[in-house]
Amino acid sequence: MSRSDAPAASDAAEDADEEGFVGKGLNRVEDHRILTGRAEYVHDIAPENSQSMGLLRATHAHADIVDIDTSAAEAHPDCALVLTGEDIAAEYNPMPCGLNGISEWALAKDTVHFVGEPVALVVAADRYVVEDLIDLIDVEYETKEAVVDPIDARQDETVLHEELGTNVPDSENMHFGEVEQAFEQADNVVENQYSWGRISGVPLETAGAVAEYDDETDSFEIDCNIQLHTLVDDTIYEPLGYDPDDVALNVPPDVGGSYGTKIAIHRYCTLAAIASQQLGGTPVKYVEDRIENLQGGDMHSSDREYLFRLAFDDDGTIRGIDVNFTDDFGAYPRYPVNQALKPLTNVTNAYHIDHLRYNYELVLTNKTSQTAYRGFGVPQHLYALEMAVDEAARELGMDPYEFRQHNLIQPEQMPYKLPTKNMYDSGDFPAALTRIKELVQEEEQVEDGLLDPDIVEQRREEGKYRGVSYTVHVEPGVSGADWTDRQRSDRDSLSDREMDDVEELPEHLRCELLDDGRLLVYLAADSSGQGHQTIVKQLMSDELGLLPTDIDVDYLDSVEAPTEYGSAASRMAVMLSGAADGLADEFIANLEQLAAEHWDVAESDVTYQDGSVERADGEARLSLVDLAGLDTERDADEQLTRAAYDYQHPVYENEEYEEAFTNKYPVYPTAAFAANAPIVEVDIRTGEVEILKFYTLRDCGTQLNPTIVEGQAHGGIAQGIGAALMEEFAYDDSGQPQAVTLFDYLLPSTKNVPEIEMEHTETPSPFTATGAKGTGEGGMIDGPPAITTAINRALEPFDVVADQVPATPDRIREWLRESDAS
Amino acid sequence: MSSDNGEPIGERPTQEVSMNINGEPVTEAVEPRLKLSDFLRNYVGLNGVRVGCEHGVCGACTVSVDGDLVKSCMMYAVQTDSAEILTVEGLSEDGSLHPVQEAFHEAHALQCGFCTSGFVMSTYDLLKKEPAPSREQAKEHLSSNICRCTGYQNIYEAVDRAAEKMGGAEDDTAAPEVGGDD
Ligand code: FES
Ligand code: FES
Repeated sequence: MSRSDAPAASDAAEDADEEGFVGKGLNRVEDHRILTGRAEYVHDIAPENSQSMGLLRATHAHADIVDIDTSAAEAHPDCALVLTGEDIAAEYNPMPCGLNGISEWALAKDTVHFVGEPVALVVAADRYVVEDLIDLIDVEYETKEAVVDPIDARQDETVLHEELGTNVPDSENMHFGEVEQAFEQADNVVENQYSWGRISGVPLETAGAVAEYDDETDSFEIDCNIQLHTLVDDTIYEPLGYDPDDVALNVPPDVGGSYGTKIAIHRYCTLAAIASQQLGGTPVKYVEDRIENLQGGDMHSSDREYLFRLAFDDDGTIRGIDVNFTDDFGAYPRYPVNQALKPLTNVTNAYHIDHLRYNYELVLTNKTSQTAYRGFGVPQHLYALEMAVDEAARELGMDPYEFRQHNLIQPEQMPYKLPTKNMYDSGDFPAALTRIKELVQEEEQVEDGLLDPDIVEQRREEGKYRGVSYTVHVEPGVSGADWTDRQRSDRDSLSDREMDDVEELPEHLRCELLDDGRLLVYLAADSSGQGHQTIVKQLMSDELGLLPTDIDVDYLDSVEAPTEYGSAASRMAVMLSGAADGLADEFIANLEQLAAEHWDVAESDVTYQDGSVERADGEARLSLVDLAGLDTERDADEQLTRAAYDYQHPVYENEEYEEAFTNKYPVYPTAAFAANAPIVEVDIRTGEVEILKFYTLRDCGTQLNPTIVEGQAHGGIAQGIGAALMEEFAYDDSGQPQAVTLFDYLLPSTKNVPEIEMEHTETPSPFTATGAKGTGEGGMIDGPPAITTAINRALEPFDVVADQVPATPDRIREWLRESDAS
Repeated sequence: MSSDNGEPIGERPTQEVSMNINGEPVTEAVEPRLKLSDFLRNYVGLNGVRVGCEHGVCGACTVSVDGDLVKSCMMYAVQTDSAEILTVEGLSEDGSLHPVQEAFHEAHALQCGFCTSGFVMSTYDLLKKEPAPSREQAKEHLSSNICRCTGYQNIYEAVDRAAEKMGGAEDDTAAPEVGGDD
């Protein structure tokens, strides 16, 4: 049914009226199957006769494997298979790493490098027996010195990987503008250290894979919940030693959260595939348990120590920043090494700053390796920057709100090019900062409000200190592909590159018309809760003048889909907008050709509109059902009721971005932004921080689906709260992980997440098809700096600042004890 | 008698359990060490029971046993002999939605959905005990479930909506549907 002849009773049709479905808060199509318990997550996939796989994991942080005795496990009547690192190395390849020159095996060979590193795999019909078998394997270790402290690790006294010869596998010291001069000439310089604890996304669904090897075709089918299955499939087919076309990764429509983390689950997919091959094609299923996930699931993310300097004049003008940090990547520099570089995309946040140095070192230690996590290295940078900004304002005795306002990029400077060559597309940062303060003053700085001065004073007498801070943050969106291998490139020769050398990856969409006139659209990207199916329905409905109910959306596996990027980096709103636009053009052109052929008229004499093609004389019309029938009868190689489109990149052709592209500086062409004002209360006796309310004003350009946008912001803010206050993968001095259950790794619950008061503005992007900007990561990026600067405000009387996150009760008590003022 | 892939358990000891699950009698011989969560998922096929931690924190596995809310990963199947068990699959029939489920849908109270069965069951339990819960009561009751996606705001909204629906009040704030499912 097309929109033109929709029954009046349809809510959806009424709602769309002339304007269309994009921009409406349509309820999600994904929900029904989930709510009724019928969604099939990878944990639910259990082919007949599938066997269960389990992993024996290292108990030491750093040790040589002297001997593995698997005989007792193998003698167990229900044991189907046991493999060790040596078995894998004999037949397969190592897994690719994020940097050149280092190999990581799916099962440790010779040496273990972190607690939880898989050492052997076992397979049996029953998961409970699998656990029995794991207990029957005996490993003899010779322990080595564990490298735990990232700062000490740089001394290379104990080196993790002999072939590298150093624990610092990558570093770069980049200058933009005249930074030394700026620091010399500035009236003041502040310098401080900030520490960001090891955290991660910890999705509620752990990793899982069900692999089946097919002897006849010598190929693999792997159902798994990996993220970016069309991009990172090399991390699986390479270790297996097969071509991309022989290893099909199929991600179920429902994945129980990822937030970047599941990009790196290739070890499990690879091992399940190997086990299936070794068993002659029996399907093998692996589901990571929570302890494995937290302890050694290749799932941790950014763990940084900053030394941050900021130069500024007496009038409050920031002259330059000098950013130095180490990022503890754990045992192997895995795929997301470029998390260290992404902050270049919004390196000055919302401030106009011309001069900067950006100097980082990646460090290897005996901890679980890193993966991506929402924000991809940016939350840490914004935290350090905003803490330094606070410090500068304090130094001048200036109200931090005024200090920030004074330095913001002005709307008339948009699009604004950063010294690091990325650009902000649009936005009015000063207005956002002004508004958020106004809002809080109107709502809370009034009688009986949370910031009513009398109440604030009264609470102080009870030992509870309230604070609020006003900050603006930029959330870079979309990314590109070419820059992501900067650290594997010859950096000295980058300046010789031309645009022709830049290789971007597209976003792919395809569609086919079904016999009944319905349209089936295929996403190449995988999803993990973002509502992509709903968004595609909205976009395609508008493009084709159909109803969302006329459209189904399905997914492609890694073999069916071309190599393309996928859903990460707050990409999909922008990329799907462009892809839907292009796909609809192709599809309409095809249908018009089909109709023109049928009527034997020129293509210019037919017009597609709202689900049918009409002849110019107005005498004839073909519906989608007719067109589907015609195409079947037509009997030609190329079907005209199908179309495919690869949307390249919103700013590939934009000359302003050329320098960023050719130099492999990260390109993130949309700048969503948020002004935040969390109101915190710190109990100085317990050290506990309660966020009383979280005010936020957000702008991500045109909102494709405001309901989904709002949900993303809520979830991001909750994760930001976790990062700022609660979550941390701590290690003891011997490299033993201290957070291996959800009793130790604390996730925010209803007790920790306050009411979120949200306003929206819409400043469309001039660079994207619908004006949308990427916005999947926002709250996680801008939550922590907003909260920590609010804690600074609350604890101002004690001269205490939150220079380490998470700002746990223990830490806050310690800061208060150490402060002179208390 | 079968293990989680349908193959015989073999020599390992088993014990017979009978219970009523979502209104249907079920009898199975299981290993005493089998968790209720695994029993419901792998033996009875109720995959709506999600397993997120297996140590009693996340609440994804929440079901009702004899009218009490239970984290099914923290019980053994043999402990529920002769019990009445209700899972999310038992809330509604023929693919229709229970008012709690409807409310979650309308309020966009789920994203990845992995926590959703647990939250729906907890909300169902809350409204049974307290038909018009305050925000504080809702927060308290739902504090034993973790959601990593939604930041809880829309879940509170769903609780309010469900309470309204179950109290029979008019609810005219529903957003339009995109329709269908795959
Ligand atoms: S799986 Fe039972 S509480 Fe997490
Ligand atoms: S919706 Fe993903 S964990 Fe709740």
